[in-house]
Amino acid sequence: MSRIQTYYRSGLLMVVLFIASSCTERIDIELGSTFQRLVVHGTVTTDSVRHQVNLSVSSDYFVNKPSPRISKAVVELSFDDMTLLLSEHDTIPGLYETPYAFRGVEGTTYKLDISQVDADQDGQYETYHATSTMPGGTVLHSIELRYIATPIFPGYQVAMYAIHLPEQRDWFGFKLWKNGFLLTDTLAKYSVMSDDLFDDGYFPGFPAGFLSDEDPRQAVHPGDTVTLELNCIEQEYYDFVIDAQLEIMGNNPLFSGPSANVSTNIDNGALGIFAAYSIQRASSILPQ
Amino acid sequence: MKKPASIGWFLALSLLFLTVESKAKVTLSGYVRDAATGEELIGANVAVEESGAGTITNEYGYFSLSLESGNYTVVCSYMGYTTASLPISLNDDIVFDIELNEAIIQLEEVTVSGLANNNNITSLETGSTRLSIQSIRKIPALLGEVDVIKTILLLPGVQMTSEGSSGFSVRGGGRDQNLILLDGATVYNASHLMGFFSVFNNDAIKDVKLYKGDIPASSGGRLSSLLDIRMKEGNRRNFSASGGIGTIASRLTLEGPIVQDKVSFLVAARRTYADIFLKFAKDEAIRQNRLFFYDLNGKLNYLINDNNRIYLSGYYGKDVFANDYAGMYFGNRTFTLRWNHLFSNRLFSNFTFLNTHYFYDLGTPEGSSQYFNWKSYLEDYGFKGDFIWYPSPEHTFQFGASGIYHTINPGSVKAQSQDGINQSMELPSNHSLENGLYFSGESKIAERFTLRYGVRYSTFSNVGPATIYEFDEEHQVTDALHYESGDFFNFYHGLEPRVAANYVLSEKNSLKSSYSRTRQYLHLASNSSAGTPLEVWFPASPNIKPQVSDQVAAGYFRNFLDNRLETSLEFYYKKMSNSIDFRDHAQLMLNPRLEGELRVGEATSYGAEFYIKYETKKFSGWISYTLSKTLRDIPEINEGNPYPAPYDKPHDLSLVFSYELFSRIDVAANWVYNTGIPFTLPSGRYEVMGNILPVYTGRNEYRFPSYHRLDLSITIRGKEKPGKRWRGEWNISAYNAYARKNVWTLNFRQDESNPDVTYAEMTYLFSIVPAITYNFKF
Repeated sequence: MSRIQTYYRSGLLMVVLFIASSCTERIDIELGSTFQRLVVHGTVTTDSVRHQVNLSVSSDYFVNKPSPRISKAVVELSFDDMTLLLSEHDTIPGLYETPYAFRGVEGTTYKLDISQVDADQDGQYETYHATSTMPGGTVLHSIELRYIATPIFPGYQVAMYAIHLPEQRDWFGFKLWKNGFLLTDTLAKYSVMSDDLFDDGYFPGFPAGFLSDEDPRQAVHPGDTVTLELNCIEQEYYDFVIDAQLEIMGNNPLFSGPSANVSTNIDNGALGIFAAYSIQRASSILPQ
Repeated sequence: MKKPASIGWFLALSLLFLTVESKAKVTLSGYVRDAATGEELIGANVAVEESGAGTITNEYGYFSLSLESGNYTVVCSYMGYTTASLPISLNDDIVFDIELNEAIIQLEEVTVSGLANNNNITSLETGSTRLSIQSIRKIPALLGEVDVIKTILLLPGVQMTSEGSSGFSVRGGGRDQNLILLDGATVYNASHLMGFFSVFNNDAIKDVKLYKGDIPASSGGRLSSLLDIRMKEGNRRNFSASGGIGTIASRLTLEGPIVQDKVSFLVAARRTYADIFLKFAKDEAIRQNRLFFYDLNGKLNYLINDNNRIYLSGYYGKDVFANDYAGMYFGNRTFTLRWNHLFSNRLFSNFTFLNTHYFYDLGTPEGSSQYFNWKSYLEDYGFKGDFIWYPSPEHTFQFGASGIYHTINPGSVKAQSQDGINQSMELPSNHSLENGLYFSGESKIAERFTLRYGVRYSTFSNVGPATIYEFDEEHQVTDALHYESGDFFNFYHGLEPRVAANYVLSEKNSLKSSYSRTRQYLHLASNSSAGTPLEVWFPASPNIKPQVSDQVAAGYFRNFLDNRLETSLEFYYKKMSNSIDFRDHAQLMLNPRLEGELRVGEATSYGAEFYIKYETKKFSGWISYTLSKTLRDIPEINEGNPYPAPYDKPHDLSLVFSYELFSRIDVAANWVYNTGIPFTLPSGRYEVMGNILPVYTGRNEYRFPSYHRLDLSITIRGKEKPGKRWRGEWNISAYNAYARKNVWTLNFRQDESNPDVTYAEMTYLFSIVPAITYNFKF
């Protein structure tokens, strides 16, 4: 969803809340159950790191415990005629890492294969596959911090200056860091957008992020370093994040459609996402 | 062998013409009016006792009966008026205008036989209801504002789409499948204040009729229903005013003659002041908000002569949600110019020019540091010509044509950043032309058997400039075709037969049945149950076929107690093809590739509607119960398995009553009950990047808890004295009197202190909502 749509969806929700004397309260409800499914979260980026794949399984909705992790699976990453066997982390079950650090490359297609997993516990191993091609073509130049002094949303807007290729469709994700600390550390906080509004290939001060004065973690003070991380992502990852955020945001009869499963690019009925994306960062220090 | 066939048709038509003409001798025609105001009365019964011939007045209050010469007694009756019995000597064609007195204004005991007719037995229509303004006024309403749409929700087969919303579903249809007309002009968004109120000011309305699928051939373009609302013409005799001051809104209506019995006007205005209550909020930001709506209805009528009348009517309404930093505005404007012309006393015609404009506009003020503006509008220009021919008492024919030019601007967005850089996004406008040609006849085939037969031929064409995307099987864009301004492309057309039959078993009971086919070329881009003002309509196109509905209905109608107790049991079955739904997580806002979000399949709806209505001098009320099922079957949704439609509510019950407790005090109550709406709830969960995500196993597998609500009201009228013009009354009401917490939506939240723990949270809109309104009239 573009930032514009996000902003006005939020604004509309606020307006509705003014007039609707809506009240909320907890309710006991019985839900059905369903078979376990494999959950994959894996990424390959242009950072020089040991790239990771998390494996877990789904559970009943009100289980109210951390998701069970999958150990001893066979996880392979293939690209450029090479196949890497990921090894499970020593202390974190279900976390698989490449044997060494390397940088992903724009334009390369990465293939993930998972086997030796019995997610649905029927006594039979399953195999799962996913592919992702790392997009490129966008260059982040710089960011600027601009103070927005409205009573409703005071804070610093993170304005981005970048260029992209207008002849191709692009999708982007944004993360914000303050003094080396990742603020957008959950799926709900990770903002994404498409390039529909930017046909000419420029992002001239586009508001890519916002740091609210009302949140102590976000509030920016003189001397703070704010870093914008620009991810060039595929449409599949964009769709996954949008779907997930719609589900996290919840249902509102005014503008929500029916709830539905979050889209995925993992086959064989698995959930989650495997994404290859490029990373660029730009920082700005708020002057004293 | 074309020649013999064409001769055969010509002979058949000639025979029909001679047959219908040969019985007509002299014509009794005229208008039925309110004696006090001169307002024409729609649907009034005009019958001739001696011959049994009868008819009802049309939408302009006109009737025509052809009879043998002789002496007759003409009986005229209408809901809420005293029946008139008038002797007449008929030797030649005569114009015979009839005036009826409103029963309520008479101070002495009034016979109420005028209320107790058997129209429901003898009329052809299945699935249609005419509502009297008086009955609408009696029904307790949210915040004391009587509302047409809230009233029709109490009828069988009609359901609300969401608490507080003005959207409604008829026999399982979507909320965009209802054609809502105000004096002939389409109203695309009939909501104020997010749907808590409708755009219809009851003080300005004369007649409301709802057709649930058995839509007359003269109308088309929507699958499920026609809500035909007619404004008052304006008092032709005396200047009068009426209004009300309420908890949330005030209104004033002025009407009167400009030239006695020739030119009259009506102006009705209404404004809410909901933002008054925001001033009491603790939060300063909330206190600064402006939140209100206003609307204005205007009408001007000119009776040029006995054969020509001109009507000019308009509506303008706007909602405002704003503060110093941002605002949202939306509204409707309609305009209708009509000319009634009598070619003869048996051939009535009406020509209408109409314009409809719906718009919304939101953003920040120009010049602000983060200027942003988002606009959209929809505009119709249309023309209709309708003819009604009354050749004999046994036959009435209607025919005509219409054309509407649609322009939809789905969205135009402009933004300016702090350093003055402009950005914009413009979704291209689309244009289309929708036409209709129709013929229908109503014939009394035998003493007890009446048949209505008709067909509408509708056409639709897209008009450039336009950009049409082509999609592959994965709904990804593969190409874009551009059309120049004025290019007509993509033509759809089809016949829409409409047939109905009534077999009158006796004056107390009848059997009715009907079949109708309807086509819909404009659709609403919305997958939410309640909807917002920001939704846009989109036309059929090379990628989107028109939706088509075939409905059959049959019913048994039975009256008791001299027609005071009306009962009916109707069954219907509706099949909709090219039925539209949207993919999971569809992106409908500002999406230039909106057509890629659609998924198409079939929908089926069937049910039984039971209705019982009882009316006496002091008591009136009804019970309506609907047992129904509506399913959608879209190959790419719910893994191709059929699923309940969003408004599928198997049980829907309404109890409505009002009672004159004392001569000046009325009490009224509604109790409504329906099965909870179908909803998609998770069966499992998983975690990614610190957030819990749901696993669903089927769309609309679950249901909310049942919905039920009691509304109460008491009306206390001031003392009436002969000669006293001012009449006032206090209305005190309580919406949701026992404060039922009806679920509006259900969500699942992660516990902030322990993110692994989730819980269900329900949202409800209203507890008990009291209101006080003072209504006046002079």
